[in-house]
Amino acid sequence: MTRQIKRHDTLFSNFFLQYKVIHALILRELHTRYGRDNLGFLWVIGEPILFCAGVAIVWTAIRPAREHGLAMTAMVVTGYVPLTMWRHCMARAIKAYEANGSLLFHRQVTPFDIITARSFLEIIGTVMAGLLVMFGAIILGYMQPPQDWSLIVLALIYQCFFSFATALLAASLSEMSDLVEKFVSVISYLSLPFSGAFIMVTWLPLRYQWILMLSPMANNMEMMRGGQFGLEASVRYDLFYDTWMTGLLLLVGIILTADVRKHLEITG
Amino acid sequence: MIKCADIVKEFHTPSGVRRVLNGVNCEVQRGEKWGVLGHNGAGKSTLLRIIGGVDLPTSGQVERDMSISWPIGFSGAFQGSLSGLDNLRFIARIYSRNYEEMRRFVDDFAELGHQLREPVKNYSSGMRARLAFALSIAIEFECYLIDEVVMVGDARFAQRCRHELFEKRSDRSLVIVSHSMDFIKETCDHSMVLRDGKMTICASVQEGIDMYNNF
Repeated sequence: MTRQIKRHDTLFSNFFLQYKVIHALILRELHTRYGRDNLGFLWVIGEPILFCAGVAIVWTAIRPAREHGLAMTAMVVTGYVPLTMWRHCMARAIKAYEANGSLLFHRQVTPFDIITARSFLEIIGTVMAGLLVMFGAIILGYMQPPQDWSLIVLALIYQCFFSFATALLAASLSEMSDLVEKFVSVISYLSLPFSGAFIMVTWLPLRYQWILMLSPMANNMEMMRGGQFGLEASVRYDLFYDTWMTGLLLLVGIILTADVRKHLEITG
Repeated sequence: MIKCADIVKEFHTPSGVRRVLNGVNCEVQRGEKWGVLGHNGAGKSTLLRIIGGVDLPTSGQVERDMSISWPIGFSGAFQGSLSGLDNLRFIARIYSRNYEEMRRFVDDFAELGHQLREPVKNYSSGMRARLAFALSIAIEFECYLIDEVVMVGDARFAQRCRHELFEKRSDRSLVIVSHSMDFIKETCDHSMVLRDGKMTICASVQEGIDMYNNF
């Protein structure tokens, strides 16, 4: 017996192992996606910046400066950043397991880790890009500083969890059925009106407002706007509903992810 | 010890469900060297992947209480678009090994030279096998799962593998799937034969070989 590794699995050691695996996956993902050349990793922020800044500039240019009394640039930035986060998380999750079959050769790497690593990168990227675009717009005078930062942070936290939950769901469901894979991009596009990115709940007639309020993302957007505009905008969000809905999605996502390995036929 | 209990594996194919393994039972103790014999498509590699935890069985259980390598073959375990070094770095991280030590060993053992900096997808299958062997030996698993085909070919490399794996690490367990009777006879001390989804545990290596030849 030369080098016998005695392992005592405790809850803590397992968490530590998972932390290490996710850490390694994030670094690996950075290398695969952006190469090892110098500042390639900056693209994590660069890509969403181009998206958000591009849309913000175009909308600011072609739309009226105010809509329903709210400044257009601020509307776009507060709407488009969370939307990008969600869409990128989801797009990265579809068929993620099949594309990363080689990772699953290592027993300590779980599907959950793969999605966590990918979502983490997308979330960090869009949040940092969002902040940069926001500061840029504020400095250039196209946008007022937010009235209430804490509400913006809260909305972002909710949006992160929502994006992560949908990523888990999309990843698992797209492996279980090809139909889902085909439809996800369509669904993510058709659901744009329900994202709340471009409208506010109170712009709708009172009796239709509940439809938008069903979407956790729309609730998050309302929170964002509440933080940005303060009393200037009338916002409606239901923290209680948002919390349990996001929690429920997360739970279903985790359960499906724990079960998905049965459906995977790993090649590679 | 590794213990497989009633392993069933089904694949969904366009022509219906195909049952590759139909209630396989086997046990591997520490230090034992098992050769798994069987014809092409008998499910040898599938069994190896299930023991290694790459695929899950449709039903049945695998108990493991030693550290087991991934199934070492021509494919798998590497990200093609990353360089050999980046793959090494990732594997060192997830198996909690020291990168520098591992790199020294792999440099020395696999003799890939500067090609270690190239993407793995540009490697020949032989080079991939070298990298896989070097990495798994550097990790010091307690049990190695090996697809025998990776050890034939380059005689010098095969010799080195044997030296590292069978001489220097003779206390480790091995599960080797193979067609080559000579290879099994030379390296294994136990054998089992896979046929029609069932596993037969043989009393000796010779018995397994006879059984295989009589199919």
